[in-house]
Amino acid sequence: MRFLPSSLVLVLLMGCASDYRHLQAVGPDPTCTDKIAPLYITTSWYNASVDVVGKHLSGLLLIKNMPDSSKRVVFTNEVGVTFFDFGFAGQGDFKVYNVVSQLNRKAVIATLRKDFELILCLPFRNRLYDRFVAGDEVYFGVKQKSETAYFITSKDCASLQRLEWGTARKRMVSITTPGSGYPSPETIALVHLNFDMQIKLTRIQRE
Amino acid sequence: MVDRFSPCVLRIVRFILLITFIGFGDPAIAQYTGYSAVADVPSFRKRFNEESLKIESISSNFTQEKILSALTEKITSSGKFSFKRSNKVRIEYLKPFVYLMVLNGDKMLIRDEQKESRINVKANRLFQQVNRIMVDCVQGTILDSKDFSSKVFEDRNTYLLEMTPASKTLREFFQTIVLVVDKKDYSAISIVMNEPAGDKTTITFTDKKLNLQLSDAVFAL
Repeated sequence: MRFLPSSLVLVLLMGCASDYRHLQAVGPDPTCTDKIAPLYITTSWYNASVDVVGKHLSGLLLIKNMPDSSKRVVFTNEVGVTFFDFGFAGQGDFKVYNVVSQLNRKAVIATLRKDFELILCLPFRNRLYDRFVAGDEVYFGVKQKSETAYFITSKDCASLQRLEWGTARKRMVSITTPGSGYPSPETIALVHLNFDMQIKLTRIQRE
Repeated sequence: MVDRFSPCVLRIVRFILLITFIGFGDPAIAQYTGYSAVADVPSFRKRFNEESLKIESISSNFTQEKILSALTEKITSSGKFSFKRSNKVRIEYLKPFVYLMVLNGDKMLIRDEQKESRINVKANRLFQQVNRIMVDCVQGTILDSKDFSSKVFEDRNTYLLEMTPASKTLREFFQTIVLVVDKKDYSAISIVMNEPAGDKTTITFTDKKLNLQLSDAVFAL
């Protein structure tokens, strides 16, 4: 019983411990980033599956690179009805072209915006990265306001492990691309680590 | 000078008014090349209901083309469609993705590549309306639907029914739904869903077989 207060403090300290506490800042590695940095994603249709707090939604998702270098992300259901159409331009410009009333909530749009910014690799386009090592992985980070976007490679820079959004202390979003990776990932698996939400995208091979 | 040309100007004005009143000014007709308005809609409605009642089942393939006009993008999918009177519809997408939707009365089954869900459409007004549209389109009762105001046109071989949603809920998804019906047997040839933002989805039915014996198991939930 007399150990309870110190145990509690230990648990609280562990709860407060940063997910990024093991990162050690090191110098840049342009040879690695030139080879592996995810800078864009090719225009593709994806079969999309979204699970949010027990609710399941499926449909088709178009990621389109526009001639003016902006990006559009359109989500429709299988029957063809459009749920949302978002536009991403340079310098963080974001435009909602279309959204159905059921999804037209500030928090929903903000969450989807952040998710797709990472899927589209927008934070990494300026090619200015802070580099950190942690165990067998190397983190390349771009700070954006209160959060940092990371792409994480193997120690030898042979493979891209995942993308992440994180605050100073917590991992928020993780993206893996099993199969072929960027710029034409076959599969994109996005997981929110602070609440129950997953997006799974599987590239559609058009005839 | 003005007086000298007045009769000519008046003739031009009369001509413009004339073509406006005989229909060239109707944007709907202008949109449907080769079609003219059906004069006696009540009688068409009666005939449509009577003839559609003769269709007990439909089994066909379909091709669906979704066009995103602003993005100059389209995606084409295809699959199998089945209908059995009354209130049973099965839409199975096979390429380039797998997706199954079965409507059976007030119940709906949806199976995508990840999950299977059963929905009571009565509990969801939007599902209920979409369910109703599909069933009404294929069993010939769409003109009786209170969800739409309708215009009817015809050419030599087909009738074209343009339906404009009445409710705000449906207007959010569809500007119009256009159903093209074969004059031979009053079965649906195509359904076009025009969205408010200018995108459209066209479902075209092919290899259609009417009144085959379709087992209820096809529509099992």
